[in-house]
Amino acid sequence: MTSENPAPRKRFRPLRWAGYAAIVAAAGFGILLGDAMITPTGPDPVSPIGGAPADLPASMSRGEYLTRAADCAACHTRQGGLPYAGGRPFELPIGTIFSTNITSDPQNGIGRWTDDAFVKAVREGIGSKGHLYPAMPYTSYSRMSRADVLEIKKYLLSLQPVPQAAPENTLGFPFNQRWGMFFWNTAFFRERRQPQVEGHNATWHRGAYLADALGHCSECHTPRNLAFARKSGSAFAGSVTEGWKAYNITADKTDGIGAWTDDQIASYLRTGHAPGRSSAAGPMAEVVENSTQYLTPSDIKALVGYLRSVPARKGGEPGGTVETNPLGARNSNAVLPGKDPQQTSSRGARLFAGDCAGCHQYNGAGRQSNYANLTGSRAVNDPSGAALVQVLLHGTKLNVGGVEQSMPAFGATYSDTQIAEVANYVLTHFGSKTGSVTAGDVKKQRK
Amino acid sequence: MPLLWYLRDEISFTGTKFGCGMALCGACTVHLNGDPVRSCQMPVGDVGDRQITTIEAMSSDRIGKAVQDAWIAEQVPQCGYCQSGQIMSATALLRVKAAPSDEDIDAALSGNICRCATYRRIRTAVHKAAQELR
Repeated sequence: MTSENPAPRKRFRPLRWAGYAAIVAAAGFGILLGDAMITPTGPDPVSPIGGAPADLPASMSRGEYLTRAADCAACHTRQGGLPYAGGRPFELPIGTIFSTNITSDPQNGIGRWTDDAFVKAVREGIGSKGHLYPAMPYTSYSRMSRADVLEIKKYLLSLQPVPQAAPENTLGFPFNQRWGMFFWNTAFFRERRQPQVEGHNATWHRGAYLADALGHCSECHTPRNLAFARKSGSAFAGSVTEGWKAYNITADKTDGIGAWTDDQIASYLRTGHAPGRSSAAGPMAEVVENSTQYLTPSDIKALVGYLRSVPARKGGEPGGTVETNPLGARNSNAVLPGKDPQQTSSRGARLFAGDCAGCHQYNGAGRQSNYANLTGSRAVNDPSGAALVQVLLHGTKLNVGGVEQSMPAFGATYSDTQIAEVANYVLTHFGSKTGSVTAGDVKKQRK
Repeated sequence: MPLLWYLRDEISFTGTKFGCGMALCGACTVHLNGDPVRSCQMPVGDVGDRQITTIEAMSSDRIGKAVQDAWIAEQVPQCGYCQSGQIMSATALLRVKAAPSDEDIDAALSGNICRCATYRRIRTAVHKAAQELR
């Protein structure tokens, strides 16, 4: 038997293909660059869309209000550090970035910055050392008006200078090359002021300005792609930030906040707790504490109205269908759990009896504080238990109107297994879910 | 101001004790409209027009008196520091369940910690009070 030789195949020429790929990439980049150059930034938004609201209390300056609405403090203040002195670490897969000092200190802060330099940093992401990394949400702040950015600068300069240098970033090559961000910006960033959208009134636009320009909500609540840019088609569908869930906040009734009432959303933003729904924890608790609790009634209304209009999207970080009247809690009262032999004898149930029921109660109503209300909370309805484990391990606190609400951390006293057991008990009892938290999951979330 | 501060420092109702200050030990338990609450974490401003009952009122409460009598009969307290909280939680339990099981007692009273470990006597005394009340 003879075997025929196969027909000679065309030889693969790697260099030639690399050449083609380079041409295509260069052409693509050229198109993006051209787009970036011709995309108009649009006019600066003016009052009542930009600026401070008409119902601004006399006790607060315009600059302070806008600084709070833009939540500069959240990132530019390190845990336990002085306000706006920077140094808060942002741990990314490529290394750690530290926020900068934006106090009036001339050496370390913005004391010597010109107006133009400050506006350029905030809206274009180009600072004193060159390109900023998009941990700074210039991608959102580019929507702000120059007047509002300068009001913020004026306020920051009115505060005490803090002579404290920010730690150096620990990014490895090539990410430590700031000029590289030029390519990222070309691909993912268009400097653009808050656009006017046909068919919407001034209140809606004000809400959009609060959410998309100042509040930069989407920086956490919109999922990101591999290049760390927000996925434009998934606005507000939810993401994970610093190990915490930034949930889907679109109008979807099951995955988002479509089933929340206006009052619930308003209360959540104003106080950090929505009656019958969630309490803010982790980074969102900081947002409420530093920013949204200060929003005026007219701005809260505008923001709620805008969030309501966000198109419903499924998925993202939905966190599971919220059961607002779960069986376990319904069958219980303030003092005793309902009959469920399997549940009450479990180790999770015993831990709950000892350390949790004192505040949360078996019916989940919350004992000393409404913030301890568990029924209807997204954290106890998410079968992955990600947010729940985060709260159990690290605790959370929230100061609203000078009153501190806190959940103690159990990370130091509970083992991984114990955290998983109590989490799974809570998911079943208060969310009617089968919790799937394992000791391994807890271990990963510990650091 | 926490309710506990108000009770102890402002109106001198010192029967309620300060333990951990974080709602984790139960020593400061009082009743808010009959339900046990940790007064160290309850802002006094949140009480509103709801009724607060402390250990001082238990001797004139039918169930509270039975619990206190059982506590004496069983010689429950050792150092005694946590006991006003224990009695408040036990009274609240007997109000919602006349004949609690051991499991019920564990579920309702586990949040009240006793460093002298009088837990067994507490259980016995709760059963005894329940019997007396029947």
